[in-house]
Amino acid sequence: MPNILEIKGLVASFASDGVRERAIAVNGVDLAIPAGKTVGLVGESGCGKSVTSLSVMGLLADNGRVEAGEALFGGVDLLKLSDRELRKIRGNRISMIFQEPMTSLNPVITVGKQVAEALRLHSGMDRQAAKARTIEIFEKVGIPEPERRYACYPHQLSGGLRQRVMIGMSMVLKPDLLIADEPTTALDVSIEAQILRLMRDLQRESGMSILMITHNLGVVAEICDLVYVMYAGEVVERADVNALFAHCAHPYTRGLMASLPRMTPKGQRLYNIRGTVPNLRAMPSGCRFSPRCEFATERCRVEKPPLADIGGGHLCRCFAPESGEGPMGGVSR
Amino acid sequence: MVKHIVKRILITLPVLLGIVLLIFFMLQVVPGDPVTVMMKEHLKEDVVENLRRTMHLDDPFFVRYFRYILDMLRGDLGTSWKLNRPVTNLISTAFPYTLRLAIASALFSWIMGIPVGVISAVLKNSLVDHLSMGLSLFGVSMPVFWIALILQNTCKGFLPVSGVQGWQSYILPTIVLGWSSAGRIARLTRSNLLEVLRGDYIRTARSKGLSPLKVITRHALKNALIPVITVMAIQISSLLSGAVITESVFAIPGVGSLAVTAINNRDMPLLQGTVIFTAVLIIAGNLAADILYSVIDPRIRVE
Repeated sequence: MPNILEIKGLVASFASDGVRERAIAVNGVDLAIPAGKTVGLVGESGCGKSVTSLSVMGLLADNGRVEAGEALFGGVDLLKLSDRELRKIRGNRISMIFQEPMTSLNPVITVGKQVAEALRLHSGMDRQAAKARTIEIFEKVGIPEPERRYACYPHQLSGGLRQRVMIGMSMVLKPDLLIADEPTTALDVSIEAQILRLMRDLQRESGMSILMITHNLGVVAEICDLVYVMYAGEVVERADVNALFAHCAHPYTRGLMASLPRMTPKGQRLYNIRGTVPNLRAMPSGCRFSPRCEFATERCRVEKPPLADIGGGHLCRCFAPESGEGPMGGVSR
Repeated sequence: MVKHIVKRILITLPVLLGIVLLIFFMLQVVPGDPVTVMMKEHLKEDVVENLRRTMHLDDPFFVRYFRYILDMLRGDLGTSWKLNRPVTNLISTAFPYTLRLAIASALFSWIMGIPVGVISAVLKNSLVDHLSMGLSLFGVSMPVFWIALILQNTCKGFLPVSGVQGWQSYILPTIVLGWSSAGRIARLTRSNLLEVLRGDYIRTARSKGLSPLKVITRHALKNALIPVITVMAIQISSLLSGAVITESVFAIPGVGSLAVTAINNRDMPLLQGTVIFTAVLIIAGNLAADILYSVIDPRIRVE
């Protein structure tokens, strides 16, 4: 299966006031998204998952910068394109959905116009045609009374509807790749299920790929085919979704799995990974997870483990994958 | 929408009555007897007595207050003690001068302030930004009379510096008055735009593939200008009520100068008239800001 997007050795850094040295937020990430598939990118807040996607789109904040790497999209390196060339791809062939549907839409422009704007920009439709097409897509993403909703402002819609508007906006130009950055985090669980189902249906219909950025393993299980787990700016594990949930190999991934609340007897404490995410400016030597790892050895603290294949395309950055008994034993999907 | 506006206008009526009461009361307690103001020389006791009666000065406070309100509703703000002309007449003669100056300096401050603020925000921390913010701060913080004197001295060879002889006479007062407003608007525009540009919906707009210019003009500016418009509306109402210092320094016979004359002469009806006129304009300015707000920001619009 050809890859729609292939990120190789991506390094991104941030400057902050009063500090000369730049903080490395993403350190050599390799990531491939097969055509028509959904890839999950999982990790804690601050592990670099959003920075990875924003780097590819050229949307890093002013103090952010891509230091190295390439992002091949249909044979073109997105990181080498000028802003003008990248803008032709943005919103057209690669589109994005963001976490906060409350703040991701402009409060003073009607939602219909915000969707039609993308359409007019990339397809050159006139106002009338763009409006008709927008109403069509609203209907498709399950917005009731699409014609009335076209003229609504964001504050007049519920969170779920706003996220549907965002999805409509990202789908209206039939992109090859949809990057969804925590699209359901701000929604309640029943709406989350609806939105995920909608994304899956739209994918089936259009054949696009999805990069699903999330910290929610439930979402991963629900929608992803392939999963990348990131920790402290690096990929620590990559596996097929079934393989990951059947036997995840990296101690960090296993910790994440064990932290999921499950049906356990009353009074049993919920598992948590001890320690905190390391500071970007003071990364531990050797394996970045070693200070928090229950199985770390002397070697882990000195030498950095490579991302190695442990069988069947399952990659893991650990010297002793599946070493010891994980804190949670076997977790089933 | 119309209902909202009508309601908003009705709310201002009690405010207006309260303001008149306050001004009326304050001017009662100010020392100085009008009759002695009018007639410098000593008068005979019975003449003074007679005069006070015809001017209703001996009536109780509230009787005079309500009489004043009734007269005001008929468009009569009394007669100037010193100039012996109706106050409304004096104000309407002075107002055109003030109006011209106000419009000119408001336009000056908008045309200078908003673009400078936008450019400063876009070129944040550049030399242009530092320079324009420095000039803005200078305009905001320097006393008006000082800037006026400096300009009068540097431009006296080629621009009129006193009185009104033609449109050229408004150039210097416009710059003096407009500079500080322009500075305030530029700084406000800059800080609001920077704030807005950090917003999530700006990232959404960029992710659509819009050019930086379109992101600013279509998505950022409208949001950033909402607070600026409030300042602009209040600013224009205070400009319309007469720039007391600027008008005095440049000898422009506007409402501000009229108020100064009234104070110097202890001319209570005239002073009362100009203050009420000012209050009405300020209330109208706030009202206009409110209505503009709801036109621009759909979140405030009442369903």
